[in-house]
Amino acid sequence: MNDFLGLITYPFVYRALIAGAMISVCAAVLGVVLVLRHYSLIGHGLSEIGFASLSLSSALGIPPMYIATPSVIAASFIIIHISRKHETSGDTAIAVASSAALALGIAVSSLSGTASNMSAYLFGSVLAVSDADMWLAVVLSAAVIGAFIVLYNRLFLITYSEPYARSLGINTAMYQVIISVLTALVVVAGMRITGTLLISGVIILPAVSARIIARGFRSLVIIAGAVSLVAFIAGLGLSFVVNIPAGAGVIIANAAILIITRIFGGRP
Amino acid sequence: MSEILRLTEAYVKYGDIPALSGVSLTAKQGDMIFITGANGSGKSTLTKAIAGLLPLSAGTLTRTPRMSYVPQYEEGDRDFPASVREIVLTGTQRPGNFFHTKADRQHAEAAMNALGISGLADSEIRTLSGGQLRRVFLARAVCGQPELLLLDEPCAGLDAQTHETLFTILRGMLAEGCAVVMVTHDISDIDGIPEGRVIRISAGRILTHE
Repeated sequence: MNDFLGLITYPFVYRALIAGAMISVCAAVLGVVLVLRHYSLIGHGLSEIGFASLSLSSALGIPPMYIATPSVIAASFIIIHISRKHETSGDTAIAVASSAALALGIAVSSLSGTASNMSAYLFGSVLAVSDADMWLAVVLSAAVIGAFIVLYNRLFLITYSEPYARSLGINTAMYQVIISVLTALVVVAGMRITGTLLISGVIILPAVSARIIARGFRSLVIIAGAVSLVAFIAGLGLSFVVNIPAGAGVIIANAAILIITRIFGGRP
Repeated sequence: MSEILRLTEAYVKYGDIPALSGVSLTAKQGDMIFITGANGSGKSTLTKAIAGLLPLSAGTLTRTPRMSYVPQYEEGDRDFPASVREIVLTGTQRPGNFFHTKADRQHAEAAMNALGISGLADSEIRTLSGGQLRRVFLARAVCGQPELLLLDEPCAGLDAQTHETLFTILRGMLAEGCAVVMVTHDISDIDGIPEGRVIRISAGRILTHE
């Protein structure tokens, strides 16, 4: 324990801690909306598109976020559009996009000789978090949480019943776009720490755990954020103790909380 | 009395199948309009078209933006993690207002009280019976203080006492100038309803105005 606390004095550790804590909370809060709207897989699809973008930017020598941010946002629009227009093929659209993007990312990184750099993006690395990454994560997370607070009532209404929201004159398509952009920002901001393969777990697992014990939407959001924060800190500690990638530690901690919650915290 | 709703020569299609054909309807402040007809006659389609949930393939719709709609079947997830109060409060939302005011909360509490669900305010909706949930949706519609209230088979699943409560609430809203359009399967089955116009439809066309 003392060793772990001692690690916090290292700049790379506190950068990861600050960035990861912010991303964990906003990912979980947004995850509540995605889980309840049956868009759980979208984070997974977007993260693999993020991986392809990172491979491309690495091969071209361009700062990763310049390509990853716009391409992930664009992909989120396309996936949501297909899901809405052809409801039964939403999961298919995500599966096609994510597998194609993953293959493209692997191909580009192999051909460009940058494959060895990619493992940090695939599985996450606290060493990869620079000062710029930390501030990007802080700003993006603050933007996501701020937007969620302002739009809380609207997101609740649309998540519960989109047709009813439309009958009140609410522009539900615009809010779907906002949800897509926020999800894309969380994926981009979180890829460095948890890895592109695991960021979707950070979005989805806390909401699933929280749903077992929450008694209303507001409590669901608060519990999901708290669960995610605890799981991140525990997972980061685990990753140092047993020397595994940070993303794996965080997801293992989230999964453990889900199992414990399922066993002891089931709703009546 | 000013006009609240004007539907003119409205046509709605499901694919190539016509569901409404040349339906016209107007409502002024304080109007009570019953829409009745057999199953599949187009009653629910008409209310969805007025609510803006189905596009018109032809015709025009002009109505107040302050409208509340109680669908025949709720589209929301029955297991959705939300309390009764949270659901009722959504009825106060309008484009442009992002936060609930104190007045919104008072309207929600009053609506729950009127429909006898105050004691369930903090209960999760998944724990409610069908009839209790129906009252939640009615409270949600009422607390928005609408100028136009659309009710699709509102009496389904309600006991006699709640029928009477609903009609008492409707009389109060009509007196305050709200126009009410109510779809009902068979108007003769309902006792004590407020007086109003009856529109009978069949195969997506209006048969009679009474």
